Amino acid sequence: MPEWDDREIIKGAKSPGQEEIAFNQLVQKYQERLYWQIRKIVVSHDDADDVLQNSMIKVWKSLGNFRSESGLYTWLYRIVTNESLSFLKQKKKKTFAPWVDVEQRMSEDLEADPWFNGDEIQLKLQQAILKLPEKQRIVFNMKYFDEVKYEEMSEILGTSVGALKASYHHAVKKIESMLGEN
Amino acid sequence: MDRNKPDLQHESLKNHPFGVPEGYFESFSERLQQRIREEESSTVPERRIGSATRWLAMAAAVLGAALITTAIIKFSGAGNGANGIYPDLALLEQLDVFDNDLYLYEYLDTASTNLSDDEAFATQAVEYLAMNDVEIDFLLEQ
Repeated sequence: MPEWDDREIIKGAKSPGQEEIAFNQLVQKYQERLYWQIRKIVVSHDDADDVLQNSMIKVWKSLGNFRSESGLYTWLYRIVTNESLSFLKQKKKKTFAPWVDVEQRMSEDLEADPWFNGDEIQLKLQQAILKLPEKQRIVFNMKYFDEVKYEEMSEILGTSVGALKASYHHAVKKIESMLGEN
Repeated sequence: MDRNKPDLQHESLKNHPFGVPEGYFESFSERLQQRIREEESSTVPERRIGSATRWLAMAAAVLGAALITTAIIKFSGAGNGANGIYPDLALLEQLDVFDNDLYLYEYLDTASTNLSDDEAFATQAVEYLAMNDVEIDFLLEQ
């Protein structure tokens, strides 16, 4: 079956009998990009898998009502980002010991993660990223690894371009400083 | 690249260092479908109502309410006022179509029926004089 473009997916999602095909097209087209966005925020593969499934179920429930005010990918990106942040909040709540820093634990888990393929420097970089405040972390990941344009990022995160540039600048300075310390 | 002070501009750092289990993306769609089927079978199916259906339902509800209101007003003759012309006040209040003029008419009508013959005569006389522009203030003061 040929790959549908976004317009065909949206149209299909609103047409009785076509919803499932449209949704499958959407999953096939975007699952990988969305997974990596989630993975960079939650770090572990198992958590990323959970978040991706939860996000996709939300998409399935609301795709028929999607209004094309923003692009489909922007809308999906926003859903997975929010879902990832909610997941981390839940994770923090579930941690019984308040003195345990979830990001610190994620950083330690990374060393034993079988799905982490990086070398020592990449591990240090990831650990430094995990020490950033949540929003700076997301901005840094989007800009540094995915090279998302600030304008697109602004639409996804609902933050001004100026604030995003400032966040990225601060994030880079902090990471450079942290990497220099090691 | 200096291992003691890594350079963020170095291309090798820009490749994310994560992996996924083999066949993960190939099987994701199937696992997701399975989970959606499980969720849908364990919950009451949510009906998707289109906007046209919603408008039709609203129009039908308004029409129904209007028909019921008309029918109640039309067939509630048993509860009519003294002259059988005006509907029952309580009913009008209930239906939220209360009219102050109707209430005043009913009040005056009821009040006049409770008067004695003398009082009724006096009232009629005052009304007659007033209608003929006769000064009646001095009479009422006495």
